Amino acid sequence: MRDLRFWRWRKAEEDDLDRELEVHLVLAANERLEAGLPLRDAQFAAHREFGSVALTKEELRDMRTGAALERMWQETRFAARRLLRSPAFTLATVLTLALAIAANASIFAVVYRVVLHPLPYGHSDRLVALEFGMPIRNVPKIYYMPSRLYYQYLDRAHTLDGLALYMGATELTLTGQGTPERIRVSRTTSSLASVLRMVPAQGRWFTEAETAQGASPVALLSHGFWVRRFGRDRNVVGRSISLDGVPTVVLGVMPASFAFPDSRVDAWVPAPFATRTTATDGWVFAAVGRLRDGAMMAEARNELTRLANDLDPSYPNNGYKFVASTATTLLDATVGDISVTLWILLASVGLVLLVACANVTNLFLVRSEVRQREIAMRRALGAGNRAIVHYFLTESTLLSLAGGAAGLALAWVAVHILVAVGPAGGPWWANLPRLEEVRLDGVVWAFTFGLSLVTALAFGSIPLLRFTPLAQSLHGSGHWSTQSRSRYGTRYLLMGAQIALALVLLTASGLMLRSFQKLRAMDPGFDATSTLTFRIGLPRIDYPDQGRMAAAHRAIIDRLSALPGVKAVSASTCLPLSEQQLCQGGPLFIEGQLPPPGTIAPFIAIRAVDGGFFATMRTRVLRGRGIERGDVEREEPIVVLNQALANLAFPGQDPIGQRVRLGNPSLARGTPEWLTVAGVVANTPTFGLAEAAPFPQFYIPIFASRTVNMGPRLDAMSYVIRTTVAPGTLTEPIRRAIGEVDGNLALAQVRTLQDILDRAAAQMAFTMVLLAIAASVSLMLGVIGIYGAMSYIVSQRTGEIGVRLALGGEPGSVARMIVRQGGLVAVAGITVGFATAFAGSRLIQSLLYGVSPRDPGVFAGTALLLLVVVLLACWLPARRAARLSPLDALRTE
Amino acid sequence: MNRVELLQGTLDMLVLRALLFGPLHGHAIATHIQRTSEDVLRVDHGSLYPALYRLKKRGWITASWEPMPDRNREAKYYRLTPAGKKRLASEHSKWRQLARAIGLVMEPAQ
Repeated sequence: MRDLRFWRWRKAEEDDLDRELEVHLVLAANERLEAGLPLRDAQFAAHREFGSVALTKEELRDMRTGAALERMWQETRFAARRLLRSPAFTLATVLTLALAIAANASIFAVVYRVVLHPLPYGHSDRLVALEFGMPIRNVPKIYYMPSRLYYQYLDRAHTLDGLALYMGATELTLTGQGTPERIRVSRTTSSLASVLRMVPAQGRWFTEAETAQGASPVALLSHGFWVRRFGRDRNVVGRSISLDGVPTVVLGVMPASFAFPDSRVDAWVPAPFATRTTATDGWVFAAVGRLRDGAMMAEARNELTRLANDLDPSYPNNGYKFVASTATTLLDATVGDISVTLWILLASVGLVLLVACANVTNLFLVRSEVRQREIAMRRALGAGNRAIVHYFLTESTLLSLAGGAAGLALAWVAVHILVAVGPAGGPWWANLPRLEEVRLDGVVWAFTFGLSLVTALAFGSIPLLRFTPLAQSLHGSGHWSTQSRSRYGTRYLLMGAQIALALVLLTASGLMLRSFQKLRAMDPGFDATSTLTFRIGLPRIDYPDQGRMAAAHRAIIDRLSALPGVKAVSASTCLPLSEQQLCQGGPLFIEGQLPPPGTIAPFIAIRAVDGGFFATMRTRVLRGRGIERGDVEREEPIVVLNQALANLAFPGQDPIGQRVRLGNPSLARGTPEWLTVAGVVANTPTFGLAEAAPFPQFYIPIFASRTVNMGPRLDAMSYVIRTTVAPGTLTEPIRRAIGEVDGNLALAQVRTLQDILDRAAAQMAFTMVLLAIAASVSLMLGVIGIYGAMSYIVSQRTGEIGVRLALGGEPGSVARMIVRQGGLVAVAGITVGFATAFAGSRLIQSLLYGVSPRDPGVFAGTALLLLVVVLLACWLPARRAARLSPLDALRTE
Repeated sequence: MNRVELLQGTLDMLVLRALLFGPLHGHAIATHIQRTSEDVLRVDHGSLYPALYRLKKRGWITASWEPMPDRNREAKYYRLTPAGKKRLASEHSKWRQLARAIGLVMEPAQ
C-alpha cells in the first residue's frame, strides 16, 4: 500500500512538471511569434533556448525526495536485466552460492538452536547441573550424588535457590490400553517443576506429600506421549493408567517444550528417594539446581565442595572427602561435547563458502574483464567511480541475495528432514541433544541475510580493486593485448586460496576417515554378526522380588532356546554400549585389603548375567572360566572380571580364587557376602567405542543378584540371541514365545548387536560424512574454478602462444609452460594449506580416535591428491593450447 | 565549487526579487530578470526550474496553478511567502555589503 501511494504521488509530480515546462515553451514561442517569426521557427528557437528538456527534468527528478530509492530500484532493474542476458553465468553463480549458503544456514541453525539458544525453562541461565570430580577415583566425572548430599545442600547451601533430584529415564510397562508398551519414565523430586520454573499445560505438578513412600501413585505425561498414546484427549487428566501393573493417576500434561532430562521421556513420576533419616550414600541420583540471584558459579562450586567434604567425618569411606564440585550450567551439561563437533562443522562449511566465493569471484572477474571496454566507455561518458561501484555491487548483491534465498529454502528442507526423522526412528543423529528444538528462526534468517550481503561485498568488490586506468583500457582494443603477468595476479591468488582451503578440509576429513576406520576395526570384545537383542521388563506388581524376576527370565530363556533358528540365548542386565551408560556401578573391596590411606575403593560397573552369556556374545574367556548355567542354578557366589578390572584390582597377581565384594564391608546390611573370582574375560566397551581406557567391569550370576550387596535389579534384562537364520525373521516367533510366557510383557529395543555398534560409531560417522561432503564440495568447486581460470588465461594468451609456436616453439614446451605456472600456484597453495592444517588440526583432536592430529600419512596423501588434481585441471587447457596451429592461434586475435 | 555556489545563491535572490511585487510564472520570472537587467542576465532555464523547486522546498515561495490573464490557459504561479520576504531582505543586505566591498577593492576612492 505504501509503495502504491508513493508511485501515485510520483506520477502526479511528474505530470505537473511536464505541464509547467510545456507552458513555458508555449509562452516562449508566442513571444517570438509576436516578434514576427514564423510559427515553426519560433517553436524551434524556444526549444533551443530552453536547452534539453530531458536534462532539466532529470535534474529536477534528482532533487526530489525518494530519488535515491528510485535510482536504486532502477539500477537493480538494470542489473537484473544484465544478469538475465547471461543465464549460464547467473545460474552457475546462484547455484554455487545457494549450496554454500544452505550448508551454512542449516549448520548454523543447529549450532544456534542447540548450543547457543537458552533452554526452554524460566531464567534457564541460572540452572546448574550438579556434577562432581573425584580425582583419585577411576571415574573422570560423576553425574550423580547421594541422597544424603541432597539434604545437606537443601539445608545448608546458600548459593542455591532450589534443588531437585531425578533419575534418567527408566522403563515401565504401560498396560490396559491396547498393546503393552515400554515407556520411558523419569523419577524426580517434587521440586523439579519449581526449580525449572515450568508449570503443566494441563492439570498440576505433584506435591511433596505425593512423593512420600506409600503415597498413591501419580504421573505427569509428556506432550509427545499424550499426543501419541492418548490422541490429545483432554479428559486424560484425573484418569488412572496402569504402569507396571500399578494403577497410576494422571495429574497433568507438560507443555511440548518440556523435555527434561531429554526429549525421549514419556512421563514423570514422583520418587520416594529418601527422607532425611533414610538418606544413603550411594552416588545414584542426578541433580539440577538453581543459582541464587547474585551467586557466581565459582562461589557455588566452592560451597558445594565444602559442604560435601563436611560430611566425611560423620560418614567416612564414601568419598565425601575427595569430591570436588564441578557444577556447570545445565545448558553445557545438556549439550555436552557435541558442541565441539558442531562448531567444527560450522567452521568447515564456512570454509566451503569461502571456496564458493573464490569461484564466484573468478566468474565475476571474467565477466568484468569482458566488459572492461564497456566500463571504460561509461567512464568516458562521465560515469563517476560511484556509478561503477554501484554497477558491480548491484549485480553481486542481486546474485548473492538470490543465492541466499535459494539457500534458505534448501536449508529449510534440510532442517525439516533432520528434525522429522530425528526423534521417531533411530538414525544416527537421533542422539543429538535438543534436536527437536532446531528450526529456522529469525536469527537464522538474519544470519543468512547478513552472510549473503557479506558474500556480495566480497566478490563484488574484487573486480573494482583491479581497474586499469581509463586511457589504457580504451587503448587495449583487443589486438595483441599481451596482458601483463600482474593482471593474472588476482586469479593466481584466488587459485592458491582455493587450493589451501580445500587442503585444510581434505586433511580434516582424511583424519576423521582414518579415525572412523580405526574405530570400526577395533575389537569390541564380542561378535556382532548374526545376533538379535531386545529388552524385556517385568511389571513389578507381578514380579515383586528378585527371585521371582530371575525365575521369569530363566523361563523366557528356556522357551526361546527351543525356537528353531536359535543357536544360543542368554541375558544380561546391561549390554556393552547400550545407551552408552554405566547401568549400575559401585565400589569394589578385596578380601584382606583395605584401600590404602588417602585412596578410595575403585568404582566398577556391575552386571548380572545368565549362564552362557560370554559364549553367546563370543566374548573370549582369558583365564579361568565363564559363568555357566550350573553356576546360576547352584547360586554359586562367583564373579567374573573383565581384564581391565583384573589389571586394576590384582596387578601382577593371579586373580582366580581371590575374594571380592561390593560396597563398604563395615556399612553393609546383613552378613557380607564374599564372591570368588572364577575367571577373567576380554574387555567390552561401556560408554562408547572411543573411550580412553576400558572401564572395569564385574559379572555375577543372576540368582546371586538376590543376595549380593548392591546387586543389579533384575526387573529388566537385555537378551542376546545368536541365530542361524537372518535375525529379522526371528522377531515375530520371539514375540509369540514371550507372549506364551506372560501376555503382559513388552519387547523393547529390538535390534542386532551390529545396530548397537553402528549407533555407537554414529556420532563419528556423522562428523566424518559431513566433513567429507564439505571437503569434496570444496575440492570440486576448487577444481572447477582452477580449470576455468586456467582456460581463461590460456584463451587470453592465445595470441602469444601463436607467436611462440610460429617462431618454432615446441607444442610440448608451451604446454609445460602453462602447467608450470599452474603447478607453482598449486605448490604455493598446498604449502599454505599444509601449514594451516598442521597448526589447526589440534582443534579437532578431541574428535579423533587412534590417529595423531598430524598423521603424516593423511597429510602427505591429501597434499599429493590435491597436487595431482590441480595439475590435471591445468594440463587440460594447456594441452588444448599446445594443439593449436600457429595460424589459428594468430587468427583468433 | 565556490563560483557555482555564488551564482546559485545569486539566482535565488534574483528570483525572490522578481516575485516581490506579485506572483509570476516561470517564463515571466525569466523574462523579468532578463528585461530588468537590460539583457545582461540571461537566465539559463535549466537552472531556473531547479532553483524554483529549491526555493519552494525551503518554504520561501509557494506555487499554484492559476489562469493566465487574457490567455485561455493556466500557468503555475509562484508567490513569495513571509519567510521568503525575510530571506530576500537578508540576501539583499548581504549582497549590498558584498557589492560595496568589491567596489572598494576594485575602485579605491581617489
